[in-house]
Amino acid sequence: MAQKPAALVIGAGIAGIQAALDIADAGYPVYLVEREPSVGGRMAQLDKTFPTLDCSSCILTPKMVSVGQHPNIELMTYSEVVAVEGEAGAFHVTIRRKPRYVEEDLCRGCGACAQACRMRGRVVDTFNQGLSKRSAIYVPFPQAVPLIYTVDPETCLYLTRGVCGKTFLCKDACPADAINFEQKERIVKVDVAAIIVATGFDLMDPRTKPEFGYGVYPNVITGLEFERLSSASGPTGGKVVLNGNEPQDVVFIHCVGSRDPHTGVPYCSRICCMYTAKHAHLVRDKLPNARITVFYIDMRAFGKGYEEFYDRVKEERVIYRRGEPSEVYRRGDRLVVRAEDSLLGRTVEVEADLVVLATAVVPRADTPAVAQLLGLACSPDGFFQEAHPKYRPVETARTGVFLAGCCQSPKDIPDTVAQAKAAAASALVVLHQTRSR
Amino acid sequence: MKPRIGVYICHCGTNVAATVDVEAVTEFAATLPGVVIARHYTYMCSEPGQALIKEDARTLGLNRVVVASCSPRMHEPTFRAASHEGGVNPYQVEMANIREQCSWVHPDRHEATDKAKALVYAAVMKAAHLEPLEEREAPVTPGALVIGGGVAGLVAALDIADAGFPVHLVERSDRLGGRVAELNRTFPDLEPVAEWLPALVDQVRRHPNITVYLNSRVTDITGFVGNFEARVGPIEAGLAPAQIQVGAIVIATGYNVFDPRLKPEFGYGIYPQVVTTLELEQRLSSGDLTVNGKTPKEVVFIKCVGSRDQQLGRPYCSRVCCMISAKQAQLVRQALPDARVTVFYMDVRTFGKRGEEFYDEARRAGVRYRRGNVSEIYRRGERVVVRVEDTLLARTVEHEADLVVLAVGMEPRPEAADIAALLKLPRSADGFLLEAHPKLRPVDTAVDGVFLAGCCQGPKDIPDTVAQAKAAAASALIPLMRGVVPMEAATAVVDPELCAGCGMCVEICPYSAPALDPLWGVSRVNAVLCKGCGACAVTCPSKAIRLQHFTPDQILAQVEALVGW
Repeated sequence: MAQKPAALVIGAGIAGIQAALDIADAGYPVYLVEREPSVGGRMAQLDKTFPTLDCSSCILTPKMVSVGQHPNIELMTYSEVVAVEGEAGAFHVTIRRKPRYVEEDLCRGCGACAQACRMRGRVVDTFNQGLSKRSAIYVPFPQAVPLIYTVDPETCLYLTRGVCGKTFLCKDACPADAINFEQKERIVKVDVAAIIVATGFDLMDPRTKPEFGYGVYPNVITGLEFERLSSASGPTGGKVVLNGNEPQDVVFIHCVGSRDPHTGVPYCSRICCMYTAKHAHLVRDKLPNARITVFYIDMRAFGKGYEEFYDRVKEERVIYRRGEPSEVYRRGDRLVVRAEDSLLGRTVEVEADLVVLATAVVPRADTPAVAQLLGLACSPDGFFQEAHPKYRPVETARTGVFLAGCCQSPKDIPDTVAQAKAAAASALVVLHQTRSR
Repeated sequence: MKPRIGVYICHCGTNVAATVDVEAVTEFAATLPGVVIARHYTYMCSEPGQALIKEDARTLGLNRVVVASCSPRMHEPTFRAASHEGGVNPYQVEMANIREQCSWVHPDRHEATDKAKALVYAAVMKAAHLEPLEEREAPVTPGALVIGGGVAGLVAALDIADAGFPVHLVERSDRLGGRVAELNRTFPDLEPVAEWLPALVDQVRRHPNITVYLNSRVTDITGFVGNFEARVGPIEAGLAPAQIQVGAIVIATGYNVFDPRLKPEFGYGIYPQVVTTLELEQRLSSGDLTVNGKTPKEVVFIKCVGSRDQQLGRPYCSRVCCMISAKQAQLVRQALPDARVTVFYMDVRTFGKRGEEFYDEARRAGVRYRRGNVSEIYRRGERVVVRVEDTLLARTVEHEADLVVLAVGMEPRPEAADIAALLKLPRSADGFLLEAHPKLRPVDTAVDGVFLAGCCQGPKDIPDTVAQAKAAAASALIPLMRGVVPMEAATAVVDPELCAGCGMCVEICPYSAPALDPLWGVSRVNAVLCKGCGACAVTCPSKAIRLQHFTPDQILAQVEALVGW
C-alpha cells in the first residue's frame, strides 16, 4: 500500500490541536506546525473556563500531551511555514525550524539552565502578560509540550551582544550538555494533501483607547492579564493582588474596542460578555467583600448554559450597569470610572482600585502576510474569509485549505472546537480522495 | 508471579517538589514490600523520565509500576505505554496523585510529604494485587446512520459519504432541507435560501453513497460503537421496516419553535395581526404582508418570546432571534418603505461574523430599536396596541401596530426524547441533548459512536450548525476510517456460579451491557458495551460481579493501607 497522504495544520492552539488529533485518530499523518516553543495557544493562558468553571489547563493539557505523543503527528514547534506551492492533494510546503539553541533530543526540561541564566528575573514573561519576569532561556509554562527549553534570541546576552561573562552559565549548568549556540535554522520540506489554518487571534492594545488609562494606571489591566492574575499557576499563585493590595472595588468594562467603528473595530468579539461574567464570579469567589460592577452595552450570553451562568453571577452581588464608560481617571490613590448609565439616564462615577478591560479580539498582525502565503482572502473585518458564510464556514476559496478557530472570526472554545473538527472532516475527505486516486 | 514493583516519584518541576520532599518519599517507597527500585525525577512524563521506567522494567524485570505524579486523567496513558514498552502489562501500572490531591492543596511541607507517602504506600499495596488485562479491538461496520434531514443532517451525511462510506439518512417528513427550507432569505447577506439549499439537497439525493429514507423514523437501536443495528420504520403503515447496520450514528433531529399561545397576553391565535417569525418568513416568500387586506403602516418585532424566560421554564437564550429580527425588519423596510418598523429587545445579541455590522445596517435602514419588556398586546379598533415598559425611558409606553412579529425561541423536539431513550443519551437541564463535555467535546455524547449535530444539542444559527455537523462527521469518521475500535479492558465479569439471575445489574447499567442469558438464567456482560463504571458490581446482591482492575482485594489493599496510616 502506498504511503498515506498527510495534512498540515498551522497553529497549535486548541483549534489546531483538535483538528490534528481528529485527522491523526482517523489514521492519517499530520504535520502540526507552531510558531511558539510550546503548543497550547491562548487556552493555556486561561484560568477557568465558562460556564462550568473547569480549570482550563486541566482540560487542555491531556490534549497537549496527546499531540506530543501521537504516532501519526509530527509536531514542529518553534517553526513557521514559509512557502506553500501546489494544489489540493499535492501541496509542497516549506517550513522554517528556528534554532532553539538547545538540542531537542538531549534537553530533559530540568530547568537548571533557567536557574543559572544571567538574565534570570529580568526578561518580561509574555506568557504571563508581562506580570512576571523570567530568564532568557525558558519554557513558556511548566506544562509546555514539548518540555524543551528555548533561548530567547531577543534577550540572551550572548546572542545579542556576543558575550555572556567569562563562561556560559546555562551551558555550565546543563547536566545533559544540551545547549548549543552553534545551532542554525533548518528548512524542512513536506508534501501534504490538505492544509488547516488555525493561527488564532490577537487582542487589541487598549492604549488605542487612551481614555481608559491603560499603561498609565497600573491597576487598569486587560482581561487576559486578569486570567494570569487569577490562575493558580500564575505569577501571584491565583491571588487577585495588585502592588501588594487586594482591591475592594473592581470595575469591568465590556466592548473595549469592540462594536466601536470609530476608534476600534465594528464587530462584536463574541467572548467578552461571558469571560467578564466569569471574572466577576472569580473575584467574588476570591474577595467575598469586594464591590463588583460590570459596565455593558448589551449582555450577550448566547451559548449553551450561558444565560443561566449570567443569572447566577447577577445573584452573586455583581452589579450590572448598562452604560458605556467615557473615561477612567485618578482621584487620590484610587481610580474613578465615569460612565453614562443608559438605564438611569445620567452620568455616574464609580470608584475602583482595579479596572479590567475586555479588549477586542483582532486578527493576528501578520494575517495579510499569511493570507498571501496561502492564497487566501480576508473579509472586511480582517479575519480570513470562508467560502460561504452560511453553508461552507470552514472552506476557503483555495481548494484543500480550511479554516479553524479564531483566525476566521472571534469565537469561544466550544465553537472553536466544533469548527476545528469541521475543518478536520473537510481535510479527511480530501485525504481520502487523494488516497483513492 | 511475585510482585517486582518500580516506584517513580515525579517532581513536576516545582509543582510537587516545592511542597513535597520527594527524596524522603522515594526513600520511604524503597522500603515497601515488593518494591525493587524507587526513583524520583524532574518530569516523569518527559522522554528521559519515560526512558527510566522502560530501562528499569527491562533490566530489573519489573512486573508492576507505580508512578506518583499528577492525575491519571493526565498521564495514565503515557505511563501505561512506557511500561508496556518495557514489558509490563499496562494494567499493572498504578498512579498516586500527589499533585492535584496533595501538593496543590496542602501548603505545609511536612503534612504534604506525609500524605504523599500515604498515597504512595496505598498505590504500592494495590499494585501488588493488580492483574494483567488484555486490550482488545472490535471491528467496525463501515457506514453511518444520520437521523434528521435538515441542514445539519445533510452536511454530516455528505462529509461521511464523500470520505467513502455508505450513509443511511432518515427523515420523518416527506422532504429534505428541514427548517431552513421554510426560510426566505438568510442573514447577514440577505441571500435567498433557494440559491444554495436545493443544490445541497440535490447533492445528497444523487450521492451514490447516501440512501435517503423519507417519511421514516428510527424505531429501535441496539449495539455499540462500531456495530450498531437500527430499525428504520416507515411512518405510513404497510411498508416493511428496514434493518441497517452501521458503525456510527449522527443525531440531527433539529428543534421546535416556542408556541406563543403559552404567553396568552400576546394574543397570538386571537389577533390576526400577531404572527411568529417563521410565519413572517412565509409571508416574505409569498410577498404578501397585508393584514386583513390592508398594508401595514406600523410593524413591531418582539424578541425573546419563549427565551430568557424563567417563568416559562425557558431560561436560555435562543441565539438566533436577534439576527432573524434584524433581517426581517430590514426585509419589511424594503418591502414596505412607508412602514415604521420598531424592534423591542432586552439585549441585542448580534455576535456572529458580520452580525454587528448587520445590526448597524438595520438601524441605518430606519429600523428603530427600543429596549423594553412587552407586557401585553390588546386590540384597539383595527389595530393592536403593544404595551411595553421602555427600560431606557423608564416608563410604560403604548405602541399601536398593524403587524406584530413574535421572535419565538427554539426548544427541544419531543421526538428527540424518544431517540435519547433508545440510546440512553442524557439531556441537559434545558431539555436539549447533552454533549460529552461543554468545552472540548461539543459533538460527542456519553455513548461512544453517537454524535450530535445542529439544534438538537442547543439553539444555533446555520454556520454554527454546519460547523457542528461537519464536526460530528469528523468524530464519526474516526472509527469508520480506522476500521477498529478499542475495547475497555477493565470490564465487569459475572461469576455464573454465584449469579441468581435477579436482573438488577441489567436495570442499573447505563450502557445496557449486562443481559440475562435466556437459557441459563444468569447475567452476562457484553465486554464491548461495558465501560467499567462498576455500578453493577456494587448493585449485585449475590456479589457475583467482579469489576476487573477494581477488584475487592485491590481496593481493600489500598483502603487498608490508608486506614492504617
